[in-house]
Amino acid sequence: MNIQFTAQQLALRDELRAYFARLITPELKAECERDMGEGGGPLWREALLQMGRDGWIGVGWPESWGGRGMTPLEQFVFVEEIMRAGYPFPFLTTESVGPMLAEHGNDWVKQEIVPKILKGELLISIGYSEPGAGTDLANLKTSAVRDGDDWIINGQKMWTSLAHFCDYTWLAVRTDPNAPKKHKGISMFLVPNSDPGWSCTAVHTLGGVRTNATYYDNIRVSNDHLVGELHGGWKLITGQLNRERLSLINFGPISQLFNQVTSWAINTELPAGGRVADQPWVQMNLGRCRALIECMKLIVYKQSWAMTTGTLQMADASAAKVYGSEGFIEVYRRLGEIVGQAHLLRTGSPQVSAEAGRIERLYRTASIITFGGGTNEIQRDIISAAGLWMPRASR
Amino acid sequence: MDFGFTPEQQEVQTLARQILADRVSAESLAAYDEYQAERFDSDLWRQLAEAGLTGVAIGEQYGGMGFGFTELALFIEEVGRSIAPVPAIMHCVAAALPIQQFGSEGMRAAFLPAAARGELLLTAALTEALNENPANPCNTLARVDGEDLLLSGRKFAVPFAHQAQRILLAARTAQGVAVVLLDPQSRGVTLTPLESTTFEPQYQLDMESVKVPAADILCASGGEAVMQWISERTATALCAHQLGATDFALRLAASYTSEREQFGVPVATFQAVGHRMADCYIDVECLRLCTYQAMSLLDSGSSATTEVQIAKIWAGDTGHRVSYATQHVHGGTGIDRDYPLWRYCLWMRHNEMSLGSSSMHTAQLGARLAAGQAQFS
Repeated sequence: MNIQFTAQQLALRDELRAYFARLITPELKAECERDMGEGGGPLWREALLQMGRDGWIGVGWPESWGGRGMTPLEQFVFVEEIMRAGYPFPFLTTESVGPMLAEHGNDWVKQEIVPKILKGELLISIGYSEPGAGTDLANLKTSAVRDGDDWIINGQKMWTSLAHFCDYTWLAVRTDPNAPKKHKGISMFLVPNSDPGWSCTAVHTLGGVRTNATYYDNIRVSNDHLVGELHGGWKLITGQLNRERLSLINFGPISQLFNQVTSWAINTELPAGGRVADQPWVQMNLGRCRALIECMKLIVYKQSWAMTTGTLQMADASAAKVYGSEGFIEVYRRLGEIVGQAHLLRTGSPQVSAEAGRIERLYRTASIITFGGGTNEIQRDIISAAGLWMPRASR
Repeated sequence: MDFGFTPEQQEVQTLARQILADRVSAESLAAYDEYQAERFDSDLWRQLAEAGLTGVAIGEQYGGMGFGFTELALFIEEVGRSIAPVPAIMHCVAAALPIQQFGSEGMRAAFLPAAARGELLLTAALTEALNENPANPCNTLARVDGEDLLLSGRKFAVPFAHQAQRILLAARTAQGVAVVLLDPQSRGVTLTPLESTTFEPQYQLDMESVKVPAADILCASGGEAVMQWISERTATALCAHQLGATDFALRLAASYTSEREQFGVPVATFQAVGHRMADCYIDVECLRLCTYQAMSLLDSGSSATTEVQIAKIWAGDTGHRVSYATQHVHGGTGIDRDYPLWRYCLWMRHNEMSLGSSSMHTAQLGARLAAGQAQFS
């Protein structure tokens, strides 16, 4: 046991910080801010391609895939640092769907899709939820029907985030409507968002972030687009979600925000005398947040390590997701208290500071991950069943 | 970065767990309830010593196993899992370790071999009334008397004070802070037995011009740093003990609710119950990771003040929440003295409140942050 970065890992972190300090220009940062921390703009695209050319996107991938052959821990450090630098990295593509495609895809997927992901040339949105299938995902109705050598896809998905600038959708469809158990009749497809039968409409959310409803109207794809086994999609969905849950809890940005608010509190005088940081309740808030974020860091590092050693536990991925998502909300609230009424000002307002505007927006967007990526109630069910061997109620 | 255990660490864990599981049970612990007997199983202590565990972090030249702080803390975690009636934290961590680290060759040779063999018992008096900072003794003063020191003052709630051959403690001198090994048999020492929530033997220690000979002075000045060193390791050991205790209580509750039926089904199948246990699982995992991080940093000699404070905050919060949640899901069984859980709840409280509560450490961490320290790197 040695819970510290090695000298090589520290050197990698320093190298990445220097690299991102050059790559993330003020113009790019402004574009990302305008896009609500989602990305998709032209400067954002160009920076992603640059990272691909420089061989960073697959730092923890085997060299045979075009990666640098380091471990998932180095891969995590890379994502942590890029998010800390304020770049909305498309981790759903690179960290969750990408590895599933590399593991389960056929030759076409492995030759045409995966290398482009590592070059930053190809983005994938995720099509799971439907109007009648959310937490009970196995109830999904979108279908793929065999037609000669091809498949014809019809249906509607909800909350297909990022789809309006992605190239493909990782789509869960029903291929066996007669399967005795609902989740046994589901398969995974890669569907091109460029198909004329594909369309989307925007859904605007509290946080200002756009998501989408997406529609699939008689889309014809070849059998190459089927990923993994026919009717064997459920395993791929849960595998992807485990990776997504880990990726959602990236502590890079929140530790950065914590440091910024702490420094602001130290350096800001109160008109009535003393500094913001001199107030006992401010110190208590800082102490609580510091202890909370420390655990977030350790949880994700341990899981990255567990991926390296092949010992990642389902209960721990769910624990990371519950702890992290609820922790983000707590930290945004407590840091917001320290900044005070100023953090009710939106970015772009006169008199708003960078930290205040960021907290204003983050507090509005934070609720999404307590239910996104699998609602926290389901995660707690998984923890009690898989982590503590407690029986579950049948559903 | 490596979260796994080495084969040696696994051996220490397995050895300790086997002996303690074999020797400690709800029935054996019942003998000490309400101070019917002194809560110190000397046979078990001897057996742990024979297995090498009391000297796990004492150097091989003094008859110990020569392992580091990580292995010692893993042993303490197992003591917590069994809430064994042995003075492991005070003897091994608070007293033997600093003798090895800061003592003269003569002092080490005098105490460590017998301490490793379990023949000599050491303890430490770390706190005073209303003063839980071991590095800042306020109520204990030392005067220089030739080569010796004369101590006067009072220490609070000293575990095993009357059985120990030496009590490590800090006293304020004209120059600063001295750290000594006090012989409780010395003239001028008064021990008043206290009754603690856990039934641990604890004493108020009063000193009236007690002579400490030069050979028993660990350091005559500069003791603040020594006591801070001890405080961080002892706090981390309390976290490890808390980890063992909370992990055991959590698994006991998970297993009980899986068997206990109401409305014709196991109560574990109710989401309200399962989710409360899931929250405990997360709490215990957080405590585990913070504790292991503090252990690992201390073992490598790195600065760990921030990480120890964070671990102790989690030890308090996790202990409090796991104690009440596990009692609650057991219903009346959880507080029934014929069922093992209730004693664990007392130890969770002990670990929560010893060497500073969560709020105290949070305030201290906050003050350090306000002073420009402890930010994320």
